[in-house]
Amino acid sequence: MTDPVAVAPGGAPAAAADRAGSRQWRMVLGRLARQPVTLCCLLYLAVVGLAAVAPGWLAPHDPWEVDLPNRLAGPGGEHWLGTDELGRDQFSRLVFGAQVAIRASFQSVTLALLVGIPVGLFIGYLGGWWDRVTMRLIDIVAAIPTLLFAFAIIALLGRGLTNAMLAISMVFAINFARITRGGVLVEREQPYVDAGRVLGLSRRRMMFGQILPNVAAPLVVQASIFLGIALLFEAMLSFLGLGVQTGQVSWGQMLDDARVFSAEQPLLPVFPGVAITLTVLMFNLLGDGLRDALGRQGSAGPPWGRDGRGSRTRWWRRGAGRSGEPAGPSEPDDDGDQAGRAQAEPADQRVGAWTTGGVRSLLEVRDLRVAFPAGSQGLMTVVDGVSFDIGDGEIFGLVGESGCGKTQTSLAIAGLVPVPGQISGGTVRLAGRELTGLSDREMETVRGPDVGMIFQDPLAALSPVHPVRRQLTEPLRRHLGLSRAAAADRAAELLDLVGVPDARRRLDDYPFQFSGGMAQRVVIATALACEPKLLIADEPTTALDVTIQSQVLDVLLDLRDRFEMSIMMITHDLGVVADVCDRVAVMYAGQIVETAPVEQLFTTPRHPYTADLLRATPHPDQPGDRLPSIPGTVPSPDSWPAGCRFQPRCSYAVEACGEQAVPLVDGIRCLRHQDVADMLSAGVYR
Amino acid sequence: MGKLLLTRLASLVPLLFLVAVFVFFLITLMPVDPVRQIAGEGASPEQLEALRTELGYDRALPVQLLSWLGNAVQGDLGTSLFTQRGVVESVLERLPVTAQLVGGAMLIALLIGLPAGVYSALRAGSLADRAMTALASLGLAMPGFWLALLLVLMFAVWLGWFPVIGYTPFGDDPVQWARGLVLPCLALGVSSAAVIARQTRSAMRDVLQSNYVQALRATGTPRRRIVYGYALRNAMVPVLTVIGWELTVLLAVSFVIERVFGIAGTGTLLIDAVVRNDIPMVQGGVVLIACIVVVINLSVDVGYGLLNPKVRPQ
Repeated sequence: MTDPVAVAPGGAPAAAADRAGSRQWRMVLGRLARQPVTLCCLLYLAVVGLAAVAPGWLAPHDPWEVDLPNRLAGPGGEHWLGTDELGRDQFSRLVFGAQVAIRASFQSVTLALLVGIPVGLFIGYLGGWWDRVTMRLIDIVAAIPTLLFAFAIIALLGRGLTNAMLAISMVFAINFARITRGGVLVEREQPYVDAGRVLGLSRRRMMFGQILPNVAAPLVVQASIFLGIALLFEAMLSFLGLGVQTGQVSWGQMLDDARVFSAEQPLLPVFPGVAITLTVLMFNLLGDGLRDALGRQGSAGPPWGRDGRGSRTRWWRRGAGRSGEPAGPSEPDDDGDQAGRAQAEPADQRVGAWTTGGVRSLLEVRDLRVAFPAGSQGLMTVVDGVSFDIGDGEIFGLVGESGCGKTQTSLAIAGLVPVPGQISGGTVRLAGRELTGLSDREMETVRGPDVGMIFQDPLAALSPVHPVRRQLTEPLRRHLGLSRAAAADRAAELLDLVGVPDARRRLDDYPFQFSGGMAQRVVIATALACEPKLLIADEPTTALDVTIQSQVLDVLLDLRDRFEMSIMMITHDLGVVADVCDRVAVMYAGQIVETAPVEQLFTTPRHPYTADLLRATPHPDQPGDRLPSIPGTVPSPDSWPAGCRFQPRCSYAVEACGEQAVPLVDGIRCLRHQDVADMLSAGVYR
Repeated sequence: MGKLLLTRLASLVPLLFLVAVFVFFLITLMPVDPVRQIAGEGASPEQLEALRTELGYDRALPVQLLSWLGNAVQGDLGTSLFTQRGVVESVLERLPVTAQLVGGAMLIALLIGLPAGVYSALRAGSLADRAMTALASLGLAMPGFWLALLLVLMFAVWLGWFPVIGYTPFGDDPVQWARGLVLPCLALGVSSAAVIARQTRSAMRDVLQSNYVQALRATGTPRRRIVYGYALRNAMVPVLTVIGWELTVLLAVSFVIERVFGIAGTGTLLIDAVVRNDIPMVQGGVVLIACIVVVINLSVDVGYGLLNPKVRPQ
């Protein structure tokens, strides 16, 4: 909705914006038409609208026709919904009441839109003094409850619906002005506004022609909700005798009458109340539907349909899938249009490919698969048969571009694959214990004492409203059973160990009082609290600046020696790998394509992807050269190519590469790795 | 904390001053003669002039404004034309009843809204969650005074569990006092319960998706502990804002609910004043209620500071 309009010489950006705008609105209408609830609301409101426009058509009786013999009759017969205390037909009165209700709502909201939007545009666009004064005024009126404001206006102007709704309308106008202003403040910074200024569009055309269509969405939603609120106010004021006067029928007034006679005819208060509730409900649901339809990327967050889908999805099985790689087109959470092809491939047969070479294995991952449901067409595999070992005290790097499955692999090891994803195959053995079949409750005893994790964004990994002491002592108290005081002592020691100065005092600080580097030390201390055998570090330095990065890496190296733990380092930064890792696995499109000791990987890369990654890494020896990049992007899991998955981007690919899946043999998944190695060693890059 | 309270208190003074000025101009700048409104249709020109002099509306506007503000500062917001009693005195007399209604309604709203919201968030997508969402939509759309009528009919007229109308002071009979408040507070609180449930649900869902929840899971913290020990407090931050708004809404809607139950609270006082064109009473009442709203907002801000360390002044 904020498409910057390209300024073609002599072209009219306004026209382009109009076209884009109308397409936008057509799309919104299309979305609305696919919401059954919204359609029902519109149907209901159409009927009520008809009653409002031509009540005489729908009402079988004159709403004022007194029929005393039939007073307080129940529903049925001639009077569908019974009669009131004067024998007047309830249904006809409801129909005429709709006229008052709908008129009052639409008049007050329309007036409010007509006043509020120009004011909001004006003060938002011009800013400065006008803005400050108006906002102050808005603050003042906001301090007076709407109903009370209506009281004051009615006291002055006299009773009557128009006066009452005038007050309501003023309050709505203020809200519209506020919303418009907020939107304008954002839009003002958009390039199309500058472009319009350059083209010399008049201020009025800028505000109403260019900016208004872009800030209209929240206004439309709010207008729908205000229609319902206005209706409630009309009913409330008429109920109090301050709204409609004699000669008009209002639902609220009907309820006031019913209050007196409800003991005699208990159904009397039911129907007007149902009419109010239903109409307000429809306006609200219409507002919800509009909000969904106008949302910039469908519905934000984990919406009903997608992860709920009627099943009893519990949040803890959902986890948080966002902490890992930055969301990209290949993020597994994005529901692809096509079904993912869970390409069945034979598990890699040759053990030599992944062993740690002499060191005893702490972690053994075999043929691990992680899959997410993809529409009606089954599962979309995002981690596809990954196998590797991590030895005692080893630092193992898992590298690859964003979206290749690194984070999902690590989450699977810790049993934290976000629902609706699941481990769809393979085994994970930690110190000989199989983890994949364990329940979440059993995994709670593994996470902490056996596996620790640290994350990319340390500040987000700490609860913002608690002092760090709380999160830091949590595993100490839970898993080690320390007392509050002992846990605090230990927590201070841990902070000291990871290099947080003045550790004891800082325990009571909140996360926002820590810098990124210090916060990451706190997170590391938390992960290390129970001295886990394996630490999974998912891009631990990506969010930090360069000088801090090396400090944090030093802390990790130091701790590895001190605690004799193994570290699984997930990163896309080959510099980090070179600095700290012993052995590396390169992942691409859900698979490991090469594993090697770190020196070997850097000196003689065997897979073309590895070679490309290395070339795309800045090198101090060749400053000034333009850094090559790998053409294309990582394919998303629903569009993995047949055969070698890197082949479409690979400069060494031959026809055979696209024919059948390539197995991982001796730590390399490439049909041509011999030829590639020969060429690379001869210094020939393609 | 004290510093936060002080800075917030200091910022109230100009706001309240401006509210008083605004209400003054609202009355004087309307295209209606307040004296004519007060005197009614049948007054002769002489009567009007006499009344104008008596009420001080014949003075120059700045004089009127200064006198209004000067009196306001001393706690005098005018005198009712009908009871001849001070506005502040009259409102303060009725305020305890209103406060009990609002307090009781908020208590009910919290007792229903918070657990319902949390439960719903933990079982997102389940039948219970959908039912809660639907009920909340209904609760939002239902006018409180209608619910009040139905509750009276059901529980007071038919079942006789609660009194149909009236308010018994606590000092007279505590049991009767409590029985008398149940239905009004329930009728008043249901829509707030719906708002709070919705907000709690969405805040809780957001929080459960956050990185620190994953980080806590990664240290083996059990779910219950994560939800009640960490997530709930984080989720309360946005909910508190909504609770503040709802207190203001409850204050206003209680005026209507009073009517159904024949409780003589602030609302009855003000509605009577509106009906009788008692303009000084309405004018003073509006300013006084605005003061209360501002104090409610202040309390919410302070509570916000207690919940969220980031907004505390360092």
